[in-house]
Amino acid sequence: MIAKPAIPDVLREPGPGIGKPLSRVDGPLKVTGQARYAAEFNVPGLVHGYIVSSTITKGRITRIDTAAALRRPGVLHVFTHENRPHVAWFDRKWKDEDAPSGSPFRPLYDDRIVHAMQPVALVVAETFEAAREGARLVQVEYEAEPHETDLAARRHEAFTPGKEKGGFEPPPKPRGDPDRALAEAAVKVDVEYVQPTEHHNPMEMHGSTVVYNDDGTLTVHDKTQGAPNSHSWVCSVFGLSKSAVRVISPFVGGAFGSGLRPQHQLFMAVMAALQLKRSVRVELSRPQMFTFGHRPPTIQRVALGAAPDGTLQAMIHEAVQESSQFENYVEIVVNWSGQQYRCDNVRLDYKLARLDVFTPLDMRAPGAATGVPAIEMAMDELAHALRMDPVELRLRNYTDRDPNQDKPFSSKELRACFAQGAERFGWSRRNPQPRSMREGRQLIGWGVASGVWDAMQGQADARATLGIDGHLVVASATADIGTGTYTVMSQIAAGTLGLPIGNVTFKLGDSALPMAPIEGGSWTVSSVGSAVLAACERVRGRLYKLAAKMEGAPLGKAKPADMVLTDGHVALAADPARRVPIAEVMRSGGVLAIEEEARSVPYYVKRAQHTLATHSAVFAEVRVDEDLGTVQVSRIVSAVAAGRIINPKTAGSQVMGGVVMGIGMALEEETFMDHGLGRYMNHDLAEYHVPVNADIGSIDVIFVDEHDEVVNPLGAKGVGEIGIVGVPAAIANAVFHATGVRVRELPITLDKVLAGLSRRSAA
Amino acid sequence: MPGTVRFVLGDRVVEVSDPDPTTTVLQWLRAQGRTGTKEGCAEGDCGACTVVLGSVDDGRISYRAVNACILFLPMLDGRQLLTVEDLREPRGPLHPVQQALVDHHGSQCGFCTPGFVMSLFAEFHREEGLKDEEGIQDALAGNLCRCTGYRPILDAARRVGAASRADRFAVEEPRMLALLEGLRRDTGLALTGPDGRRWFAPRCLAELQALLDAHPDATLLAGATDVGLWVTKQHRRPDPVVWLGDVAELRRIAQEPDRIVLGAGVSYAAALPVLASRWPAFGALVRRLGSAQIRNSGTIGGNIANASPIGDGMPALIALGARLILNRAGLRRTIPIEDYFLGYRRTALLPGEFLEAVEVPSVPGGTFATYKVSKRRDQDISAVAAGFSVTLEEGVVTEARLAFGGMAEIPKRAAGAEAALVGRPWTLETVAAAMEALGTDFAPLNDMRASAAYRILVARNLLMRFHLESTGQAELLEAADA
Repeated sequence: MIAKPAIPDVLREPGPGIGKPLSRVDGPLKVTGQARYAAEFNVPGLVHGYIVSSTITKGRITRIDTAAALRRPGVLHVFTHENRPHVAWFDRKWKDEDAPSGSPFRPLYDDRIVHAMQPVALVVAETFEAAREGARLVQVEYEAEPHETDLAARRHEAFTPGKEKGGFEPPPKPRGDPDRALAEAAVKVDVEYVQPTEHHNPMEMHGSTVVYNDDGTLTVHDKTQGAPNSHSWVCSVFGLSKSAVRVISPFVGGAFGSGLRPQHQLFMAVMAALQLKRSVRVELSRPQMFTFGHRPPTIQRVALGAAPDGTLQAMIHEAVQESSQFENYVEIVVNWSGQQYRCDNVRLDYKLARLDVFTPLDMRAPGAATGVPAIEMAMDELAHALRMDPVELRLRNYTDRDPNQDKPFSSKELRACFAQGAERFGWSRRNPQPRSMREGRQLIGWGVASGVWDAMQGQADARATLGIDGHLVVASATADIGTGTYTVMSQIAAGTLGLPIGNVTFKLGDSALPMAPIEGGSWTVSSVGSAVLAACERVRGRLYKLAAKMEGAPLGKAKPADMVLTDGHVALAADPARRVPIAEVMRSGGVLAIEEEARSVPYYVKRAQHTLATHSAVFAEVRVDEDLGTVQVSRIVSAVAAGRIINPKTAGSQVMGGVVMGIGMALEEETFMDHGLGRYMNHDLAEYHVPVNADIGSIDVIFVDEHDEVVNPLGAKGVGEIGIVGVPAAIANAVFHATGVRVRELPITLDKVLAGLSRRSAA
Repeated sequence: MPGTVRFVLGDRVVEVSDPDPTTTVLQWLRAQGRTGTKEGCAEGDCGACTVVLGSVDDGRISYRAVNACILFLPMLDGRQLLTVEDLREPRGPLHPVQQALVDHHGSQCGFCTPGFVMSLFAEFHREEGLKDEEGIQDALAGNLCRCTGYRPILDAARRVGAASRADRFAVEEPRMLALLEGLRRDTGLALTGPDGRRWFAPRCLAELQALLDAHPDATLLAGATDVGLWVTKQHRRPDPVVWLGDVAELRRIAQEPDRIVLGAGVSYAAALPVLASRWPAFGALVRRLGSAQIRNSGTIGGNIANASPIGDGMPALIALGARLILNRAGLRRTIPIEDYFLGYRRTALLPGEFLEAVEVPSVPGGTFATYKVSKRRDQDISAVAAGFSVTLEEGVVTEARLAFGGMAEIPKRAAGAEAALVGRPWTLETVAAAMEALGTDFAPLNDMRASAAYRILVARNLLMRFHLESTGQAELLEAADA
């Protein structure tokens, strides 16, 4: 039975395990190749599916010929829209936890083609090679229709979305008279920024292995950020009972959002397993990783007006973003601008344009990684126009209340981020003049930007089972996509029960475990960590009660409030030398195991009275080759305020990884669209550039002290997204400082820089 | 025993009879349930599939990291294959490279981790491996990581570089040498896959000539860093395949006083020290060519023969006046390398003819430089590659060879720019005229690597930089511009 404890509104002081730089507990499994990912579960009789992708972008299939494929030795079956088994009809049956409003994509549903490389058939064969060869032999004829994939072409037909998705807040109403204030401002910037499509490209490609059990039930190994999400989606789409399917996902080879929604390989593998009554694996190829979900391209206008002393007088931030024809994907892009700075005349506007692409999908810091760089680049342009230090400009307009909602922040140590980051970076030595630093043929520049991300929390359950042998097993259906969930949850549990970390096992990635929300948005420590804490506290409470009732009263007349757990003992808080081993307490109480399940729910009331966010200040140094236009990021200092840090090692690594993805966003990452074909051109890792190690210079992560009693009982805000947010703008601003060239279209590639440099020298 | 691929997997001999000749080592491993080796791209770009090949070299076992995703199974014949599962002794402690990655938090999602482990392991067994920052970056350039931000992995590499290189593989080397000796074959390997496609691996030039006589249309395979992608990306099914990797004569390097002769099967990794010692700039370029894994597999001959418009080594070889030795049934002819490239992916090679060797003359007195410009520092196809060589007599240019990649459908000399230099003093004015002429020598493409305007501008800037570097004026210009 699930207990629903009321979590007291005080910050507890968790035990000694919390805050330690523990190495990840799953490290040895990963360095020896024993960690198994979705496509690595082999069972006897496993067959392989290979997906055939459409060659047009929009239209319909007029004919599909599978005869040649079926003749290929080893090929068992070819699924198409003509012979697929029955699946759900209502849109709501196809929705998952992360679905926006609209009609979710249905693989092999009918003859319609709505995006490039849409899956049109699945070839199932005894071997992977035969399936791939069969896929080559499937012949499809199409009737193509004109498509539009260019955001610039549709930006003027954009519409204002409603509240299309959980977690999305439309922009607040305008305040003051921003247009007039802008017109009257002494100093102003009014510029447009363009950001490209990006793809998540986790190192592991999406794959699903569906094991068809003897009793007809399915065990699904899926690459997902939420086993329960995949589980309920499969049950709903195929009309299966909850007990007929179990989804397992102990290890995920990165996702960054790509696993927030069930992807079509899961549908394909389940469909084939059900129909063929065989175990089936379907893996996407790297090019097929570009056929679902991406960070949408965005065009933004930012206009800022300020008094000569830097006081902001007007702020207009408008964004137009891509969505598909069938769903209204939305992300918060512009709202943070109004939240970060004090300004009386503000208009924030967000629109969507429909294009013939797949629905975009949350990618690390969705919206913030797009909108915050725009406002932060504009603030740098304003600082330059004002001849003011960009840190000083930000502090001049600093706010301790959220102006959008007129609420206090639960905590906001951004000032400390600026101070400590600037100190570490040596910012005070910066000459504000662009092109003032060089070394040989390299121009050197320093830039700064701030970052922000929401500190969210969801409802989650966890179960803790303490055995008389002193081993604790804690379980929750959450995921570890490389973030360190196994490790930090073990730490929270060990800390709460005073156990060595080696005595704790954390289980996750299994739809049969206590419910947890999809892992994303930096809310897992907050949501699941709070549930782990609550479950372990209940176990602790049971131990104290048993200890108080022990025969011979080894702890005297101590009440639970007088006890502590340390080193596997129940001890007196006032006299820790008086203690009894946990095993003895349990033996005397006649229990072999103590099991407690708890649900954590956010502090709804207190949260509603505050704005909750993580913040960062990012400082970047770049070196630009003036003959070639190449940009090297030689140094980054990222100072982060994210509440309590459970594990500085895993958290530091999260931020560092975010910084590198931010470097990619600033300089390299871009999925090119051939608008004539409506297809992505660089759908592989050779041409879709993620940074290599030589692209990375020194990265220094600082966590500033931040105390928060509102966010959750742990006081921890989550660090998965904040690392990326400020980085693209800090780099873009540094490139300007180095060269005097402002590149407003990301990524800042060598040809854009060199074109700017030659325009500048011509001028 | 023809028809059977024999190799050592870990420490046991494995025999595979007549496999599909273009099954990749990665697919084979994973189908065996050895899933520690990962697929991230199936084209040698990400390094998640990195495995280590051990082979006998001068009586010792040398280990090299390669991409299993584009390595065909028969290429293992006679070698030792080590995967991430092999490093830790059963129930023993982690291997030092594994422990370093754990301690430094070099693994997050863990999917790229086995590849990093194996790249580090190969370097662990090179005495000079991982000794300095440059060496560490080079060793890991072929491994992408999307989670960690690389710093923790580089920290782990530094620790491995500073540690003692003793491990059980060093202890067991004599036994492994004996095992590999037992797999040696004297005549070539011939396989026929289940669908009838054939694979030949000749051992000597005579066998190769005979095979090409019989199969003039055979696909010649060297390191498979290009042909591998025909299979994994384009789903092609070459037949028959003649693999050159065991032809002893093609792997020779001859260093003569006036020239270096590199067999067509010499890998870039093997050529690197030779090229770097004669032309440091060429060495620096080769270090940015592909990655350690690609250079360990990819050969100079393959890079020339596939006639890519942007093969990074081509401009340098053209600038140095390299010549190709082509062989057809034992009849040899020698042509300047620039005459080999006829058009986009079209070459001067006749049916049944193969590239046997490249000879590179040393140019005493000449000034040489080569450059690679790409969006990403490592693991990237060049936007522009250039190789320049000028010979001066009393300050006057007597010969100029200016070659570019990425500027046309083939690697190509800049005839107009060269003409603008020859006979004139090697001055900034002369170079300015040559820079101008580049605009008529080339009409490059706009593509996602760079715009046409960028390519022309950078080609000019590279020539300018070459002049400044060769005359020691770089400092002067910087001072003037500041």
